[in-house]
Amino acid sequence: MNGASPLPFGDVFFGWSWLDAIIRIVIVVLIMTVVVVYLTYGERKVVARIQQRLGPNRVGPWGLLQGFADAIKLLIKEDIRPRAADRWVFEFAPFLTFIPVLMVLAALPFARDWGVRNVTLGLLFVNAALGLNIVGIMMAGLGSGNKYALLGGVRAAAQMISYEIPLVISIICVAMVAGTLDLNAIAILQEDRPFLLLQPLAFVIFFTAMLSELHRAPFDIPVAESEIVGGYFVEYSGIRWSMFQLTEYASLWAFSIFGSVVFLGGWEFPMGSDWGWGWQLFLTFVKSLAWIIAVMWVRTTVPRLRIDQLMSFCWKVLLPMSLVQLLMNGFILVYDWPQELLTLTSGIGAAALVGFILYRTARHPSVAHLVGAYKRAGAQAQ
Amino acid sequence: MATEILWWIFAAAIVGTALGVVFSGSVIHSAIFLILSLAGVGAMYLFLMVEFLALVQFLIYGGAVTVLILLALMLTRMGAGEKVNGSQAPAGFMVAVALAAILVSVAVRTAWPGDTGDMPHNIAIEAVSEKLFLDFGAPFVIASALLLVALIGAIVLARQEDGE
Repeated sequence: MNGASPLPFGDVFFGWSWLDAIIRIVIVVLIMTVVVVYLTYGERKVVARIQQRLGPNRVGPWGLLQGFADAIKLLIKEDIRPRAADRWVFEFAPFLTFIPVLMVLAALPFARDWGVRNVTLGLLFVNAALGLNIVGIMMAGLGSGNKYALLGGVRAAAQMISYEIPLVISIICVAMVAGTLDLNAIAILQEDRPFLLLQPLAFVIFFTAMLSELHRAPFDIPVAESEIVGGYFVEYSGIRWSMFQLTEYASLWAFSIFGSVVFLGGWEFPMGSDWGWGWQLFLTFVKSLAWIIAVMWVRTTVPRLRIDQLMSFCWKVLLPMSLVQLLMNGFILVYDWPQELLTLTSGIGAAALVGFILYRTARHPSVAHLVGAYKRAGAQAQ
Repeated sequence: MATEILWWIFAAAIVGTALGVVFSGSVIHSAIFLILSLAGVGAMYLFLMVEFLALVQFLIYGGAVTVLILLALMLTRMGAGEKVNGSQAPAGFMVAVALAAILVSVAVRTAWPGDTGDMPHNIAIEAVSEKLFLDFGAPFVIASALLLVALIGAIVLARQEDGE
C-alpha cells in the first residue's frame, strides 16, 4: 500500500455512493420493521383462523395495532442477565444473529435494479451471510449458562449444518440453469416462465430446507417449547429477546423474497419489465406474502419431528434427491437437451419426493427399533 | 488515502482479535475471537478486490470451520473457570515461537511480485470455474475423492459398533 497508487476501492467507502447506500439501507430497515410488526400480528391471525379461533382483536380495529402494543411492552420490559451467564457473549449474541439477516436484505432485489446493492455474486453472498447466521445462536446457547439453552444451541447447530447442504445444492441447481449468480439477472431470465416450472424438485428441497433454517414447524426442534422451554433464547428478556424475534421474522421475510426471486420469478415474471416499478413492487409483495402464508400453513398442519427423524430425513432423503437433481441438470445442460426435459425429470423427482413423504405418513410406522414409551405409543397407534 | 486508513483499521482489528484468540481466558471466547479475526481477513480480500475469495472466506471459515469448533465445544464438558493452559504449555510456546520465526523469515526473504494494485482483481466467476473444472479438473476430482475417503474414515472411527 504505497501512496502513489491507491486502490480505487476507497471510492466506495467515502464517495456519494456511501451516502446512497446508507439512505437505501435505512429505507429497507424501516420497511422491515413495519413488516416484522405485521408479520407477528399476521401469523397470530392466520394460525387462529386455521385453529378456528379469533386471534388478536382488541387493540385497534381488528386488532391491527396489536404488534405495536407488543413492541412497546417488550421495549420497556426489564432486561435480565443471569449471574451464570458469560457476560459479553450473552449480551452480543442477539445483535450478532441479526447482522447476517441485514446482510441478506442488502443484496435482495425488490424491484428492477432496486435493492440496497446489486451484488454480482448475489446467490453466493446470500449463502455466505446465511452461513454466519448460526454464530449468534451458538453464542446465545453457550453464553446463557443454562442447560436448556445449550441443548437448543446444539440442536440448532446440528440442524443448520445438515440442512444447509441440500439448501445450497438446490440453489446451485437453479444457478446452473440460469448460468449466473446475479439475482437481478436471474429474475430477468424468468421473463417467460418462473424457474419453479423448470426445477420443481429443487423448489421442494429449498422450501423444506428453508423451514429448517428458519426453525419453523415441523423443524422447530431447537426452539421446541414443550421439550427444552424455548431453546437458546430461554434466558433472554426484554429488548434482547425481541431482537431474536425480530431476526426470526426478518429472516422469514428475507427468505420469502429470496425464494420468490429464485423460483417464482421475483419482480419480473408476468410483465414485470413492461408495466413499471409499481407492478414490480406489487409482484414482490404478493409472491412473498404467498410464500409466508405457505410457511404458516405448514406450521399449523404438520406436527414436530423427532431429532433422529429430522437428521435421517435430511441425510437420507433430501441430500440424495438434491444430488440427483444436480446430476440431471449437468447432463441436460452440457448436452444442450431441450428445456422441457428439465421440467420432466425434475417434475418426476418432485412427485417422487412428495409421494414418498405422503406414503411415509399414510403407512403404519415400524416400531422394531424403538424403545420404551415410543414403542408403546407406536404399538397403540397400530 | 481513505483506503489506507481503513486498511490500517482492519489490520489492527485482525491482529487484535488474533491476540484475543491466544490470550483470552476461556475456549469459547477464543473461538469467537477466531471468527472475528477470520472475518477481518475476509474484509481484507474485499480491499484487494477479490470478491469471490472474500465470500468464500466468510462461508468456509466464518460459517463452517468455526461453527464446527463451537459445536465440538458444546459437546465437550467445559467449565467457565477451567484453566486453558495445561502442563504442555511450555512446549506449545516453543512450537509457536519456532513456527512464527519460520513464517516471518520466509515472508521477509520471498521476493513478492510487484504491488497489490497490479494484481488481477475482480476475476469473473466464469473464469474461476473454467480454470477449476476444465483446466484443473483432474486435481479437483482427486481432491474430492481424498476428502470423501477422509469423511468415511472419520465415520468408521467414530462409530465403533459393539464387538469391533
